[in-house]
Amino acid sequence: MNIKLMIAVIAAKLAASLSRMFGGKGSSLPGVVARRIYQGTLRDLAKQARKDIIMVTGTNGKTTTNNMIASVIASTGCKIVINQEGANLITGVTTAFIRYANWLGRIDCDYALLEVDEASFPKVLREISPQMVVVNNFFRDQLDRYGELDKTVTLVREALKDLPQVHLILNSDDPLVAQMQQATGHSATFFGLAPNQRPATGSQQTREARFCPMCGEELQYENYQYSQLGSFVCPGCSFKRPEPEIEGFAIETVGSVLNASVKYHQAMTTLSIHTHGFYNVYNALAAFTVGSLIGIKPEQIAKGLLTYRPAIGRMETFFYQGKPAILNLVKNPTGYNEGVNSLLSIAGTKTVFMAINDNDADGKDISWLWDVDFEHMVKANHEIELFVCSGLRAEEMALRLKYAGIPLEQITVIKEMEPAIKKALEGPGKLTYLFSTYTALWSAQKILLALAEKEVPHAEGVSSIS
Amino acid sequence: MLKVCHLYPDLLNLYGDRGNIIAFVQRCHWRGIPVEVVEVNVGESVDFEEIDFLFLGGGSDREQNLMAADLLLRKESLRQAIEKGLVVLAICGGYQMLGQYYLTHEGQKIPGLGILDLYTRAGEKRLIGNIVIESSINGVPVKIAGFENHSGQTFIGDMEPLGKVVSGFGNNGQDHLEGARYKNVFCSYLHGPLLPKNSSLTDLLIQLALQRRGLESTLSQLNNDLEEAAVGVIVERLVK
Repeated sequence: MNIKLMIAVIAAKLAASLSRMFGGKGSSLPGVVARRIYQGTLRDLAKQARKDIIMVTGTNGKTTTNNMIASVIASTGCKIVINQEGANLITGVTTAFIRYANWLGRIDCDYALLEVDEASFPKVLREISPQMVVVNNFFRDQLDRYGELDKTVTLVREALKDLPQVHLILNSDDPLVAQMQQATGHSATFFGLAPNQRPATGSQQTREARFCPMCGEELQYENYQYSQLGSFVCPGCSFKRPEPEIEGFAIETVGSVLNASVKYHQAMTTLSIHTHGFYNVYNALAAFTVGSLIGIKPEQIAKGLLTYRPAIGRMETFFYQGKPAILNLVKNPTGYNEGVNSLLSIAGTKTVFMAINDNDADGKDISWLWDVDFEHMVKANHEIELFVCSGLRAEEMALRLKYAGIPLEQITVIKEMEPAIKKALEGPGKLTYLFSTYTALWSAQKILLALAEKEVPHAEGVSSIS
Repeated sequence: MLKVCHLYPDLLNLYGDRGNIIAFVQRCHWRGIPVEVVEVNVGESVDFEEIDFLFLGGGSDREQNLMAADLLLRKESLRQAIEKGLVVLAICGGYQMLGQYYLTHEGQKIPGLGILDLYTRAGEKRLIGNIVIESSINGVPVKIAGFENHSGQTFIGDMEPLGKVVSGFGNNGQDHLEGARYKNVFCSYLHGPLLPKNSSLTDLLIQLALQRRGLESTLSQLNNDLEEAAVGVIVERLVK
């Protein structure tokens, strides 16, 4: 029996109860407590996973991808440990294991599914050796916390290099991600989208990687999916988009369901997922890849993905007096652009709510708002009569809209969240679309839960998976 | 017709830089002043004499090196245009680039364009955070707010600063000065970006650009309530 571990776990569990009593989420404090008492807590807990430890890192879609993998694996009856709700620093990862451990520090699980923040990734890898690592994409995110994108990519690459053995699951369409196989020398499986899977309305402005990560030459693209994702080839060296083993195509949104076909080796299957947003196909493909690598049959993976429900603020849907309201977390230009595109792809009138905070966890620098193409919304002006801006930096959000060309009389600033959300829910649109940065998300969700009803899953638009 | 030149928008696109272009253009539009934007990337030709407002932003290290190589080739024509009153806004890396040199941690002097008499040396820690400075625009004291994020520390000697630091770090975290001004060249570490919120500075740049062409430079008043409110949030937070 590992006495130190036991004491650490007990103390952490007590801290969790106390924290909850005082209204906290308890998603990182227990980890902090346990690690202070016994540094080996995470290491000792993690090695109890009977099968694999699977990590997800990258900029956008970590939570969604990890939860999709969980839906797939849990559907086979396997036991999992997962860190939910974006608690993805080392303390959050430790907390996840503690939550699943009994008082003796024992965990009964087959798989540990961990989303890990890019900046914390090297630290976590020093304590846990994953069998698989999924890297989805790299975009500019919260610059004031991490320094520039180059540094983040290097951090992840070097940490992977230091691992003696790991299998990588990589997005073939993002050059910053696809380079990881060559750059680290590990084995890899690539997933990606067939060329030209989206209408040409995507943002042209924020492209993060113009240059070959191997030789520095400017990359050439045959086509773009969004941001720097697409079919790239380097004229200077042999680096180009790897042919994905798992390839998605025929993407469509029907009702509240996203459908996509997947080609793998010689076979094909169709996936249906309860979510919106083109980019979520990438997350589903990553989950599909993980599932097939651990030997789950494609039909079973599809069934598992169908059970997936968006986590807080990942296209979470509510109904206010029968009117849908969609809550969407935004934290960087690419994610916000995709959110705006997904908003514009929904037919009918809309009311838009935008909550921008600039606390530590949001990124104190909100200049990235000026890299988002809100100008696209001007064309759809007749469909959006009201924009409600809220949060600590509501004025800056409103200013951004003004300079995008939205008429002033359509912009309202209400700094306090509750009246602002109420105003948006009661707005003229047939649907309310709510954008929120990280620290405004929890209160936004709380207010929505109080005012509106959470979506009841329905079968509309689900294609047959048999 | 005012001609706005965004230099290297491909490379220097950090920190919402293009918000500065958007602000300049919109405030012209709203007043019925015709304006056009030309984007000039590495290797493309541009005649600075024909430009009315030049914007030079900052980028990540690798990208900044690429632009520096290209900009050095245009040094003389840029210098001449500046001496003749070209209106320039240079932020962060662009600001450093206009100076004499950048002194690295290793003691290496990377030459700048040498157009302005200032230099930058690598600092120990990054200077990051919201910042408020006090400047004077057409003789009126104005608070300018933004966000700074730089490791280079710039020293401007006898040059005129853009303003005095009220709260934040400024050029180097030591002398309480922020930015620099020479003729119609404005330099600053403030992004956020700088021009959308700080509308009186934007209007000054428009005025100077019009004056240089001998055009009517009295600007009609615009509603600046949102701009002032956005600056107010930061001022209220930092200045008590």
